[in-house]
Amino acid sequence: MKDIFILLFRSKRFIVGFVLFLAVLSFAIIGPMLNPKNPFQMVGGLFTPPSDKFILGTDNLGRDVFTQLMYGTRTSLLIGCTAGVIATSIGVTIGSIAGYKGGIVEEILMGITNVFITIPSIVVLILLSIAIKTRSAAVMGLVIGVTSWPWTARAVRAQTASLKTREHIDIARITGFSSIEMIVLEILPYMFSYIFMAFILQFSGGILNEATLSMLGLGPYQTVSLGVMLHWSLLWEAVRTGAWWAFIPPVICLSMTTFSLMSMNSSMDEVFNPRLRRS
Amino acid sequence: MNNFKEEAIVLKKVSVSIMSILLIFSLLGSVSFAQAPSQLPRTETLYIAGMQWGPPTTFNPMAPSPAWPNNRGQDPLIYETLFAYNLLTNKLDPLIGESYSWKVYQLTVKLRKGAKWQDGTPLTAKDVVYTFELGKKFSLAHSPVWDFITDIKAKDDLTVVMTLNKDRPHKKRLETYLGQIIIVPQHIWSKYDSSQKTLQEYTNTEPVGSGPYKLAAFSPEQIVLQRDDNYWGIPYYGKPAPKYIVHPIFKSNDAGNLALERGEVDLSQQFCPEIWKMWEDKKLPVGTWYKKEPYHIPASIPSLYINLHKKPLNNPLVRRALAYAINYEKIAETAMSKYSPPAKSSLIIPVGVPEQKYFNQEDVDKYGWKYDPKKAVEILEKQLKAKKGSDGIYVLPDGTRLGPFTAECPYGWTDWMTSLEVVAESARAVGIDVRTQYPDAPVWTDHRNTGNFDLLMNTPAGGYTPAHPWLRFYEVMEGRGVAPIGQVAYWNFGRYSNKKVSSLLDSAAKIEDEKKLATIYRELDRIFMQDIPLIPLEYRPGWFYEYNETYWTGFPNEDNPVAPPMWAWGGIRKYYVIKPKK
Repeated sequence: MKDIFILLFRSKRFIVGFVLFLAVLSFAIIGPMLNPKNPFQMVGGLFTPPSDKFILGTDNLGRDVFTQLMYGTRTSLLIGCTAGVIATSIGVTIGSIAGYKGGIVEEILMGITNVFITIPSIVVLILLSIAIKTRSAAVMGLVIGVTSWPWTARAVRAQTASLKTREHIDIARITGFSSIEMIVLEILPYMFSYIFMAFILQFSGGILNEATLSMLGLGPYQTVSLGVMLHWSLLWEAVRTGAWWAFIPPVICLSMTTFSLMSMNSSMDEVFNPRLRRS
Repeated sequence: MNNFKEEAIVLKKVSVSIMSILLIFSLLGSVSFAQAPSQLPRTETLYIAGMQWGPPTTFNPMAPSPAWPNNRGQDPLIYETLFAYNLLTNKLDPLIGESYSWKVYQLTVKLRKGAKWQDGTPLTAKDVVYTFELGKKFSLAHSPVWDFITDIKAKDDLTVVMTLNKDRPHKKRLETYLGQIIIVPQHIWSKYDSSQKTLQEYTNTEPVGSGPYKLAAFSPEQIVLQRDDNYWGIPYYGKPAPKYIVHPIFKSNDAGNLALERGEVDLSQQFCPEIWKMWEDKKLPVGTWYKKEPYHIPASIPSLYINLHKKPLNNPLVRRALAYAINYEKIAETAMSKYSPPAKSSLIIPVGVPEQKYFNQEDVDKYGWKYDPKKAVEILEKQLKAKKGSDGIYVLPDGTRLGPFTAECPYGWTDWMTSLEVVAESARAVGIDVRTQYPDAPVWTDHRNTGNFDLLMNTPAGGYTPAHPWLRFYEVMEGRGVAPIGQVAYWNFGRYSNKKVSSLLDSAAKIEDEKKLATIYRELDRIFMQDIPLIPLEYRPGWFYEYNETYWTGFPNEDNPVAPPMWAWGGIRKYYVIKPKK
C-alpha cells in the first residue's frame, strides 16, 4: 500500500490532480465555514459587475456569485459523490456476481446491463428527473447513480471472470466459502484499485451529468449547484449581456473538479496497470 | 474465425457510416426544401420576432392556436377585426368598421365602403353576422360574445345591428369584442362549417383575408407575408411600408434577442433582459417605447394567486404578512429587468395606461401594503400570536406551521420564475416557508384552473382592453359562476367570493358617468386591499416592443407616438409609419 502511494506521488500528473482536487474540496467545504452567508440572499442588483463588495459580482437574482460558487461546488461534489458511490456499488455487485457465477446468472445480469447500455443514459436521466417531484441534491445523486452503472458492471464482470480462475480462489472454494464470501473476501480485494478508479470516473461523470441536467432545467430544487448557476445564467442571457462573471466561474470550477479527478484517475491507471507504468 | 469477426466489424462500421451519411443528407434535404423564398430584398423586408413559437401548423383563425398572424390578439395583417383598439387613446380606431353608435341596448356598426376580400369578393355586413354566429353555433374563442348580445343582424350591406343582453348590459365588454373578433369570409368558410371539427381542423394554408398582407410562404423556420397592393383600405389608411414581413421562428429567447442586437431582426416582442445596454454600452441603433425606465408601457399585473380555502392561507392576516414580506423593488429590478415600476397593492395600474386615472395613492397608503419585513413580523407575532420555530419558520398558536407553501409558474417563463424566487426568498427571510416549483405549462394550467395550488403566479385579465380595469376586478373577485375547488374555473382561481363585490361589479358595468365609476372602482380596490385575494407582483407590458433601426427607421416611440407599441389590433399602424433607411 505504501509503495503504491510512493508510486502515485512520483507521478506529476497525480500530484497536480490531487492538489487541484484538494483546493476545490477545501473551497467547497471550508469556504462556507469561513464565509457563512446565505447563497440565496439577494444582496445586489441584476448582474452587478465584480467589485470590492462582491468579488465575483451578482447573478440575475442579485445573489452573490462567490457565495453561490462555494455552496454550488459543494452541492455538485455531493451529487457527484453520491452518484459515484451508487453507480459503483451497483456496477460492482452486478459485475462481480455475473463474473463469478457465470452461466445463466451471467447471461441474465449481463443482458440487463446491455439493455441499459443501449438506452442512452441521458434520456433515462431526463425522464426520471421529470417524473420525480422532489428533486433534492441526494435524489439527483441517486437518479444519476442508477443510470450510470452499466459500464462499471461490464468491466468488473470481465475482471472477476479472469480472477476466478486463479489458484487461491480454488483453494478458498475447497475450504467451503459461500459465493458471497468468495466475492467479498477473495475477489474484490484484488480489484480494489480498479474499483476505486471506477468510482473516481463515476464521481466526475456524476458532476458532469448534474451540470447537464441542471442546464436543461431539471436540476435540484431549493439548492444551488454549478449546473443550476449555469442554467440561470443561460436563461438570463448572461453571455449576450456580457455578464461573464455569472457563467465563467462555475465553468472554471466544473472544469477544475473534473480535470483533477480525471488526471488522478489516469495517473492511477498508470500506477496500477504495470503495462502502462512508465519506468 | 478472427478474420471473419473483423470483417463483420468492418462491414458493420461501413453500413453505420453509410446510414449516418444518408440520414444527414436527408435532414439537410428536408431543411433546404422547407426554406421559404430566401433572397428577399432587405430594404423591403421587415423581420420581426416574438409572436410565433414552434412550427406553424394551421392558419385557421377559428382553430385553438393558429399561427401568426392569424391568432386572436395579433396584428390584423391577413384577417381584420371590425375596429382596432388603440392603447394610447383608449379608443377603437376604424378598420373594417367605420363607426359604431349606441341606442340604449342597440349597437349599430357602420362598415367601410369598398371593403373587400383578397379574392375580390366584397366584404359585407353578412360576413360579420356570419362570423359572430359561428361563435353561437360552435364553441370558439369568440363564443363568449354571446354572453353579451342576444342577436345580430345585417340591416344592409354596410350596417350591422346587435342587441345587448339585458342581463349583462356591459357595453365596454361588447366593444372589446368589436376590436377582437377576426372577421372571416362567409363564401369560403361556409364550405367548412358543417361541424366544429371540420371548422377547426381546416388548416387554411392559403388564407383569404381582408387585410393588407397575404401569406406568401411558411416553413418550420419562418413565416413570410407579402403586401397586397390591391388592399381595399389603401384609400383610407395608405400602404404599409414593408413589401414583405418575415417572422423567423426562433428556438429560444436568446437566439431572437441576439438577432435583434445584430440587426437581423428589426422589431421584436421578446423579453430581452437589460436591453438598454444595447444602446448605452454597445451604441447600437436599438430602441424601446420609453428611452428610460420602465422602457415599456405597463399593461398587466402578473400576480401571486393564493388558495383562499387552504389553511392557513385562508386567514387574511397570514396573507397580509406575506404581502408585507415580498420585496417588490427586487422583483421589478431583477425579474422585470427594470421594465416595471415596483408593484403597488392595487388592482389598478398606476402608470402608462388609461386606467391610471382611477388609481388612488391615499387608499393604497391606508388599506394596502408595501415591502416592509418588520411589519410582516409584527403581524405574525402581535396579531397572529405566531411563534418562531427552531427552523426560523413561524407556527400559529393552533400548531399550524406557515409553510411549506409551493409557489408555481410554468418552467421557462424566466421573468416569472425569477419573481417567484424573490417571493420565496423574501418570505423565508421573515419566517414564512415558500418553495418554488416550475412544472410544464399544461400542468400549471391544470393546477390553476382546478385550484390545486398553494400559491401560483398568473396574470388576471392579461390582454389590455377598453373594459379594463373592470375586467381585472371581475377576474380576480367575481365569485358567481366560478366552479368550486377541484372543478375547472376560468377566472378567480383562488375562489374568492363576496356578494358586495358582485353587486358593485354589476353597477360598474352599467355606469358611464366617470365620477360614479371612479367611486365604485375605489370601493372595489379597497375591498381588494382588505381581503387580499391575490398579491400583485409586477407590472408587465402588454407587449414588449423593441426595434433596431439598422434597416428601417421611424419606429413609433414616446417622442414619436404615431402608433401604439402594440402587437395586436391598433398595433398595425406601426407598419404604416416606418420607412426604409436610405
